[in-house]
Amino acid sequence: MAEHRLVGKVATVTGRIAPGTVGEVVVHVRGGSETYFARPADGEEIIPSGRQVVIVSAAAGRTLYVSAVEAI
Amino acid sequence: MSVAVSSVIIVPAAIAAGAIILVILLFKAMWRVAEPNEALIISGLRDKGIAKDTSGDEMGFRIVTGKGTLVVPGVQAVRRLSLDLHQADLQVDCVTHQGIPVHVSGTVIFKIGDDPGSITNAARRFLDQQDKMDQRVHNVFAGHLRSIVGSMTVEDMIRDREQLTARTREASGTEMTKLGLIIDSLQIQEIDDPTGYIKNLAMPHTAAVASAARIAQANADREATEREQEANALKAEAVRNAAIKEAGFQAEVDKANAEAAQSGPLAQASARQNVVQQETKTAELEAGRQQQLLVATVIRPAEAQRDADIAAAEAASKVAELTAEGQAKRTRLDADARAAATRATGLAEADATKAKGLAEAEATAAKGIAEGKAIQARADALASNPEAVAMQALAEQWPAVVREAAGAFSNVQNFTVLDGAAGVNRALMEVASTGMAGFEFLRGLFVPKQVAAGAVAAPEQSPVAVGAPTDNGAAAIDG
Repeated sequence: MAEHRLVGKVATVTGRIAPGTVGEVVVHVRGGSETYFARPADGEEIIPSGRQVVIVSAAAGRTLYVSAVEAI
Repeated sequence: MSVAVSSVIIVPAAIAAGAIILVILLFKAMWRVAEPNEALIISGLRDKGIAKDTSGDEMGFRIVTGKGTLVVPGVQAVRRLSLDLHQADLQVDCVTHQGIPVHVSGTVIFKIGDDPGSITNAARRFLDQQDKMDQRVHNVFAGHLRSIVGSMTVEDMIRDREQLTARTREASGTEMTKLGLIIDSLQIQEIDDPTGYIKNLAMPHTAAVASAARIAQANADREATEREQEANALKAEAVRNAAIKEAGFQAEVDKANAEAAQSGPLAQASARQNVVQQETKTAELEAGRQQQLLVATVIRPAEAQRDADIAAAEAASKVAELTAEGQAKRTRLDADARAAATRATGLAEADATKAKGLAEAEATAAKGIAEGKAIQARADALASNPEAVAMQALAEQWPAVVREAAGAFSNVQNFTVLDGAAGVNRALMEVASTGMAGFEFLRGLFVPKQVAAGAVAAPEQSPVAVGAPTDNGAAAIDG
């Protein structure tokens, strides 16, 4: 399973995402759920726990760049 | 013949069977299955297309997870990499952000990541020393934990779990990724605090909590006591109500029992009453019979006797009445007759008396005149011879004297003369002599008062002569 398949999926924030720190998201993948490190895609967004985020890109070392899904 | 045929059939069949068994055995020897918690690392005999990573570089080995794969023995090597959870216990002496020395004991739970990159990294580092993985991680993570604790305060460690996990990710994330491991959880199990910082930290809260606890306890006690008392009151009320109800029921039961107990004697009394009534009736009948008997034997005869007696008495009284009436009538008749006779007699006597009176009156008048004359003459004579006159007067009164003497005998009923006729004469003579003696006595009296005697004698005669006719007249009127 390649990390690039995660791009476009929606994940849930379990650890606060902010610049200068490592956030955490839970993604439904491979039939289960896995935790990935998360960083803001634009480098300055602050996303608290519990919010939904969309995965913008994937990097090596289980790191995803995410952006908050605006609550509609 | 038959042996030849059978051998012809059996030999190829046995060969076929042996071939099938051989194929199965070969397949079993070549086929490998990766279970869910493990990854197969297959190396040798390059499989094109599979053993490439996302960037297209060849990895040099193949990773199989969750399925079976055919492995050629002798050419390819198969190693199993466990993807199970691992745990490492950590004991770290460190200093917090505030410079407080603490002894932290924690647990880190980790596993090999499920993605091919992590499996590749892990396979390259731990494939032959999977049992030493815990020790490796412990050594790595002790340093991380020390740095984590050093960047946090005691309060944050205790309260801010989010910050703890974030710092864990920050500190160890990159390093763990290198090892192909992911940290599922980091737990601070115990913070041993030799300086008593935590204790002191907790003290005010402990005191407040203890106070609140005591207050709550007291309130709860008070409330419980109140409720208990209320419940007791309700209980007492219920007991009272139950007792009242019970007493009522008991009273009803007693009443029913009493009525039941009374019913026996009552029935007995009722039966006895019936018996007495019947006996009374019998007695009454007896009495009636007795009465009838008495009526027949005593009263009726008595009544008959009484009636007879009454009749007899009535008859007698009638007779007596009639007799009396007869006598009365007779008496009345007699009386009438006698009265008539008496009246007639009276009338006759009255007439006679009247006539006699008249005659006597005339005679007296004549006598008076004559006596007047005589007295004149006597007075004359007396004047000349008083004794001769007296004697004369006495001689004239003699018969009256004798009559008076005889009157002495008139009161004698039986005059018995004992010596015959001579006796009678003697008696008469004695009376006469007595009369003579009286005469002598009278003469003695009269002589000195001649005139007076003559005056007295005359009035004595006259009233009698006058009164008689009057009486006879009255009688005549009565008759």
